[in-house]
Amino acid sequence: MAATQATNPSQLLPLELVDKCIGSRIHIVMKTDKEIVGTLLGFDDFVNMVLEDVTEFEITPEGRRITKLDQILLNGNNITMLIPGGEGPEV
Amino acid sequence: MDKEKKKKESIFDLSKYIDKPIRVKFQGGREASGVLKGFDPLLNLVLDGTIEYMRDPDDQLKLTEDTRQLGLVVCRGTSVVLICPQDGMEAIPNPFIQQQDG
Repeated sequence: MAATQATNPSQLLPLELVDKCIGSRIHIVMKTDKEIVGTLLGFDDFVNMVLEDVTEFEITPEGRRITKLDQILLNGNNITMLIPGGEGPEV
Repeated sequence: MDKEKKKKESIFDLSKYIDKPIRVKFQGGREASGVLKGFDPLLNLVLDGTIEYMRDPDDQLKLTEDTRQLGLVVCRGTSVVLICPQDGMEAIPNPFIQQQDG
C-alpha cells in the first residue's frame, strides 16, 4: 500500500493491536446488535476472523444465544469494534 | 501518455487528534467515544478508555443515558461514518418540530 505515511511511527497501529491479540480472547461487536466472544486464531487483510470456542450474544432479546465450539470464520463485513481480552456483555 | 500519480493521499490528518478524546459514529447507529491512540489510512482506529453510548430500544435513533465501558478497542474503518472531537458536538432541541398549541 503506497500510502503517504503522515502518521507518527511511534503510535499504535490498529491492525498491530489485533495481531497482538492472536491467541487470546477477543470480543467482536458487529454493526447490528450481535456480539461474538472467542479466541482469536487469525485474521486477514479484510479483517475476516478465525475464532475458536465462540459464544454468540444477541443484545436486544437480552440473553446469550449460542455457544459454538470448534472454529468459525467470521465475515469482516459487519465488524464494528474489536475488544482484545473482552469477555462480552454483562449478561 | 499522461500517467496520473497513484499516490494515496489522505484528505484528513488524524495525528492532531492523537491522545485527545474523540467521538465516533458508526454505520448501524452505534456511537462511542475514547482517546485516540492510533489509526491507519483505512481509518481503522485505536481508542482507549472507550465508552459506548447505547440507543433506546424503542427508538433506535435516540441515545439514552446508558453507557458501557469497553476499554481499549479497535474500531473498523469500514464502519466509521463520523469522527469529531469530544467537545465538538452537543445535543440541541429539534429545530424542525413545529410546536402547535392544542
